[in-house]
Amino acid sequence: MFFTILPTNRKGRGIAFVAGLVAAGAIALLSYNVSREIRLLGSARSDNVQWSLVQTQVEFLEFAQEIERDPVDLTKLRQEFDIFFSRMRTVNEATVFEALRADATVRQHLADLSRFLDEAVRIVDVPDAVVLQQIPRLGMLASEILPTVRALGNSGLDISAIAADSQREKVARTLTQLALAIAGLIGMLLLAILYLYQLNVRIYRRERENKQTSTRMSTVMGTSLDGVIVCDAQGLILQFSPAAEGIFGYAEKEVLGRDIGAVIVPDHMRKAHDAGMERMRENGEKRVVGKGRVKMEAKHREGRVFPVELAIQSAMTDEGEIFIAFLRDISHRVAAEAELVAARDKALASEKLKTDFLSTMSHEIRTPLNGLLGNMLLLRDTKLNPLQDRYVGYMETSGRLLISHISDVLDITRYDAGKLSTRSRPVNISALLQAIVDNQKSTAAHNETSLHWRWIGQNVGWVLSDHDRLQHVLMNLIGNAVKFTRRGKVSVTVENIGQAQNAELMIKITDTGPGISADLAERIFDDFVTGNAAYDRVAGGTGLGLSIARRFVHALSGEIGVDSVVGEGSTFWVRLPVVQTEAPEEPIADEMALPLTRSLDVLLVEDNEINRMVAREMLVAEGHSVTEAHDGPQGVEAANGRRFDLILMDISMPLMDGRTATRAIRSGDGPSKDTVIVALTANVMVDEQQAFLAAGMNSILTKPLSRNALRTLLSQTSRLATDEETNMINKSHSDETREALGEEAFVKLRSRFVTEVDEYHEWLISDEARDFLEIAARTHKVAGSAAVFGADELRKILRAIETAAKAGNITRIRANVAQFTASWTATKSQLSR
Amino acid sequence: MFAHLTKIALGLSLAVSFGSLARAQDMAMPAADVVLTVSGNITVTNDGDLLRLDRDMLMALPATSFETSTIWTDGVHDFIGVSLADFAAMFGMRGGGFLATAINDYTVEIPFGDAVTGGPIIAYLMDGELMSVRDKGPLWIIYPYDSDSAYRSEVIYSRSIWQLDRVEIVQ
Repeated sequence: MFFTILPTNRKGRGIAFVAGLVAAGAIALLSYNVSREIRLLGSARSDNVQWSLVQTQVEFLEFAQEIERDPVDLTKLRQEFDIFFSRMRTVNEATVFEALRADATVRQHLADLSRFLDEAVRIVDVPDAVVLQQIPRLGMLASEILPTVRALGNSGLDISAIAADSQREKVARTLTQLALAIAGLIGMLLLAILYLYQLNVRIYRRERENKQTSTRMSTVMGTSLDGVIVCDAQGLILQFSPAAEGIFGYAEKEVLGRDIGAVIVPDHMRKAHDAGMERMRENGEKRVVGKGRVKMEAKHREGRVFPVELAIQSAMTDEGEIFIAFLRDISHRVAAEAELVAARDKALASEKLKTDFLSTMSHEIRTPLNGLLGNMLLLRDTKLNPLQDRYVGYMETSGRLLISHISDVLDITRYDAGKLSTRSRPVNISALLQAIVDNQKSTAAHNETSLHWRWIGQNVGWVLSDHDRLQHVLMNLIGNAVKFTRRGKVSVTVENIGQAQNAELMIKITDTGPGISADLAERIFDDFVTGNAAYDRVAGGTGLGLSIARRFVHALSGEIGVDSVVGEGSTFWVRLPVVQTEAPEEPIADEMALPLTRSLDVLLVEDNEINRMVAREMLVAEGHSVTEAHDGPQGVEAANGRRFDLILMDISMPLMDGRTATRAIRSGDGPSKDTVIVALTANVMVDEQQAFLAAGMNSILTKPLSRNALRTLLSQTSRLATDEETNMINKSHSDETREALGEEAFVKLRSRFVTEVDEYHEWLISDEARDFLEIAARTHKVAGSAAVFGADELRKILRAIETAAKAGNITRIRANVAQFTASWTATKSQLSR
Repeated sequence: MFAHLTKIALGLSLAVSFGSLARAQDMAMPAADVVLTVSGNITVTNDGDLLRLDRDMLMALPATSFETSTIWTDGVHDFIGVSLADFAAMFGMRGGGFLATAINDYTVEIPFGDAVTGGPIIAYLMDGELMSVRDKGPLWIIYPYDSDSAYRSEVIYSRSIWQLDRVEIVQ
């Protein structure tokens, strides 16, 4: 704002200067003229001209008188003549008479007079006697010339008058010019005064603005919560705000003019600070200035070093560059941040610890449990008397309960980690409820409680939902009702309360049990909340059942709640949005074992002796030959020694874990490097399962081993082993595509196809693939790609998966997925040939 | 400015001796025709109350010369004469003035203030020649007009009396 005015200012000044110069020049010139005129007047070169001319007449007359005198005084006569002669000479020669002589008439008179003088001289300049004789003639000559003398005097008057007039006129003109010039100058001066006045007003206004700005600035500085320090380019402090005084413990007057480095920079940073200042002075390099907020350390008057946040800006002033620093003591913030970070780290660490603990516990508990259950399975195959058979049954029930507790804990972990997903597939609600009620019937009978279920309104039939989760929830609620109700009644009702298209189930479990207090009802779905301790002892429970139920219902987009009156009973309700669907094509007949075509050569890598024994017995019972390895290195060695049809690989093993062993087999050159490797694990964390596949494993078998799952796997592997050398690729299809696209594009497309199928495979065997419709859609897409490359075998399997997904037949999907895994491995190797 | 003044050594020495003699005794009588009669309040006399000077006596006084133009002549001329300052000193003048009268009785008053060094002279030679009455002679009071514009005024022109033959000293 200050700088924009300057140019006009300069221009104005320039104009005023030039105008003044012109006026002064004009006045000087005119003054010179006037002074010249005055000098001319003063010199009076011509003023005695008239007198001289008059004198001419006087002197002539005196001379003429002497001629008339009687007797004639010759001496006097001659003297008077000489005087007149001298006068005439003067008139003829003197410069003052030049103007006069310029006149023709005057010149004529002078010529006449000269002639007269010539004649008179001849008469006068002779001896006295001769002169006396000539006196009459001299008198005659004098009387003849008298009119000429008079005329000369008069003409002199006229000419002088004219000259005087012109002189006066000239003076008057010059004076007029001078007056005009002076008027001009006065005008100019007035303008200059006006300009100066305006300038003054402007300067005054700017001064006032400056003062206001500076007042405002100092108010801003004074009230700023951040400390404000202003210093010059040398680092000498110019201003130190009250807030800065508070932060650093110095009073402003103590630090004014002192080096900022010495005042607030901690000793260990002095060198860097001084070097920075030096750099800035030398090459104007600025590392902190104008770089926004910067965190640094500063020094208090007492020597204490504390963290500050500061921003520095520079500004140009008349005194050179200045720097304005805004500083804030952030000790508290830094401390709070550190505390927060520590707290978060601690929380994360304990969260990780919890997850690790749960994961480890699940493995550590499951492994021996698998041993127990596996052996009980084998025990059932032996000859048992009815009592033994019943005991084995009890043991199996207890074992499965234990497994379910562990699953509960893991489910909570999964849900809280956001990893709980649901699989929607056709569920028959009636069948589900009937099965649960049947299951609980004996317990209810034991408690002398009646247990019934019924539909209210229209029977909905088949719906799409997650069968396992729903079963879990209803089993929990009905189980609880039965557990806590003695000599009472538990009734389960289910009703479609939704619209035609958007079915919504309301399932109510009403008991006549002890009821729940309002206080407890609020918390009953929280973790680890159990009812009366006395009841707990009777009924048992981890306190996780309802909290898991809540999580599952929420995962299915439903709601769960309870209405209860103490002493009268409770009603737990579940509201669940569902999609009505057709009954699947074929009944879910899981247990249909596929016929085996031949005996397989299986390598079993498992460190736990019992588990190894269980798996071996199962395999041998199916008619396969089993080679055992007790740890990773042994497994790798065995795989390198011979070609196996199938390798079952435990994951958690000492020395070398299953993943490392798998990688070693796959990357080696052994005869079993392409053999199907299946992971055996109790570890069901999703991300870990992904890691197994990444290590080169084809599939996963979850422990405890189920005979069915094992059978499915074996049948697929054996079929694959038989078909191994069959052509996976229909050459003619593949060649057609190759021709149509050209070699280069074909290769590119092929690699994209491989990536696509790999991704699909990974997704299919992961936990994510739980939705039938999605499975069908993705499978359909991949099947299309497979057709292009003539992967007919693969396409056939994909079609089967698609059909099974559309029908909601999980068993068939599972069977086909295992088949797909094997088929894809073969197809992939043939594709690149 | 154009006029440069020249003191003639001889004239100076004469004036000193003459000045000292002047008070001691009366001046000698003029030997030739009188060209200038000095009257008035004077101590130096040779004919009663008067001091009569012939041309030689006048020329014996300290001489001063300069060149100047005049409004009555054409071009620059060289004038030699007795400076009015020396003339006043001769009579020990401290103030007053001169009443200068010409042959035709024309009289002007010249104040004592004009009698300064570098001021007017009573000229008797113009361009080394004596001046006749027909040529404004024999004596002519000449100011150095060219040296100072103050000498080019009508008052000064009126004091530049020619055909001078009498001077009355008024003290």
